[in-house]
Amino acid sequence: MFSPPIDTLLIFALTTPVIGWITERVKKVQLCGAYSTLGLVISLWYIYELFGAISTGGSQTYTSFFSSQLRIDMLGVFMATIFVLIGIFASVYSLRYLERDTGIPLFYSLLLLMISGMVGTVFAGDFFTFFVFWEMMCISSYTLVAFRKQRWEPIEAAFKYLIMSSAGSATLLFGMSILYGMCGTLNFQGLALALSNVGSSVWLYVSAIFILIGLGVKSAIVPLHTWLPDAHSAAPSPISAMLSGVVVETGIYAICRVGFTILAGIEVQWLGVLAILSLVTMFVGNLTPLLQTDLKRLLAYSSIGHIGYMLAGLATGTVLGLTGTLMHIFNHGIMKGAAFLCAGMILYRLETREMKEMAGIGRKMPVTAAIFALSLFALTGMPPLNGFISELTIIMATVEANMAWLGIAVIVNSVISAAYYLRTIKALLQPITQKKVEEAKEGPLVMLIPLLIMAGLIIVLGIFPDILINFARSAAIALLGGG
Amino acid sequence: MIETAHYLIFSFTLYMIGVYCLVTKRNMIRLLLGIEILINAANFNFVSLASSIPGLIDPLAMSIVTVSIGLAASVSAVAVIIIVYAYRHYGTLDVRMLKRLKG
Repeated sequence: MFSPPIDTLLIFALTTPVIGWITERVKKVQLCGAYSTLGLVISLWYIYELFGAISTGGSQTYTSFFSSQLRIDMLGVFMATIFVLIGIFASVYSLRYLERDTGIPLFYSLLLLMISGMVGTVFAGDFFTFFVFWEMMCISSYTLVAFRKQRWEPIEAAFKYLIMSSAGSATLLFGMSILYGMCGTLNFQGLALALSNVGSSVWLYVSAIFILIGLGVKSAIVPLHTWLPDAHSAAPSPISAMLSGVVVETGIYAICRVGFTILAGIEVQWLGVLAILSLVTMFVGNLTPLLQTDLKRLLAYSSIGHIGYMLAGLATGTVLGLTGTLMHIFNHGIMKGAAFLCAGMILYRLETREMKEMAGIGRKMPVTAAIFALSLFALTGMPPLNGFISELTIIMATVEANMAWLGIAVIVNSVISAAYYLRTIKALLQPITQKKVEEAKEGPLVMLIPLLIMAGLIIVLGIFPDILINFARSAAIALLGGG
Repeated sequence: MIETAHYLIFSFTLYMIGVYCLVTKRNMIRLLLGIEILINAANFNFVSLASSIPGLIDPLAMSIVTVSIGLAASVSAVAVIIIVYAYRHYGTLDVRMLKRLKG
């Protein structure tokens, strides 16, 4: 109906509650998690098959009886791979992480719905299909942030997130309605064709402002970022990894897609605006966490800084810059996902997020602490790890596009970010002061397996980046056409 | 005969009313109504622009608005659930009380 990967995800999302009901009867709720992980793995296989079909035969088009249209190109496949990959890690990790919670089948169902929403967003071929999948992702993420409803913090964060994000979605819809009034269609290719005749008119600017505000709320560009630290720190840790690693990046994808296809006529203007915004975003995102003592809030703020780096690559508007942005989306998903899952492991054992109270945890949980330190070094941009390669690509692209000031800002921000990442690592290695830390032991194996795989990917993609560079480059060429 | 410009002025006014509502109101239910007003401004824009060519009404806009109303309903359903839980935790619907998250 909606191309094999999304169909698989939707079918598994709808059958998970039924399987969950049966597994709750036989007191083996973990089986339900295993079932949804199976769904994600099958979906990843279908995405791999689509990759084969697209690399030989160009973009694929699906039209279903809803007259919704999907147009899958290399960029869509690239993004979908990240979404499903991080989804598999989060799903495996949740098998043990959520063992003290109730309503686990619904958690998995919502997780699968969120991932299918994201995959649908990147596969959509017209603006309204895009919007429907976008709302599907948003609604399930509000519910997942508020999953631990018996505590006050997730409820408050989810309410803030819901109000800001749905106001953003409504703004996006308003911008779409103006575009529709100008062109009479919402198909991406049709819009591009119709607007190339119009040139730049006042209404195009108006709709561009509305659309960029709407997408900017979701991707946490700085004046619109205030929901992010609350929502990402209050959500359960696997969901924090998903939100910070991939959901925010869906907004960046949307800016790429809409910007380079629809707003191509006024490219110079919106790229200039994005360059300024990326500068502000990086500085705010890297200066605020210097004062944080809450581990998950610190990681959430540093996501804003990384959004700034991605926007810097995007603002160059060249194939190299877009390659850097896409690589950074992939690498950031893995690095930040691993960091959040490690923070969740410490939270699982100690039930605290304060850095003072977890002093010396590295002596008791060596594997977790080692992976945590590795992911933080990668986030800083240490040379042999994957974060370095993508940041270097972005800096090279800014120099190539005569925007070296932006590249210098990225370097300065990497240095600033090292200050708080190293402070976090220091907290892990201090002498033990709390009795709780003394009694802690290494996390369960089921939770360590995804972390070990992610740590492996951080190292392997840092030393052998060629596969990723080629994949990201073909995705960037699919969007920009030629070059 | 009402011209398209009048419809556009109306929908922009509606959008501004929604933004004003989101900025000034302190009751959680009213904030939700502000979101609904924003979505309705967009829906109104779609419907009015569909009939801008005389004698032709584009069915695409009608189907978009139908789906959009359904999406708005699901957003409000989730919002009302969260508001109910917030009321249970705080005993009030005033958003100024929800200020414990800081930094």
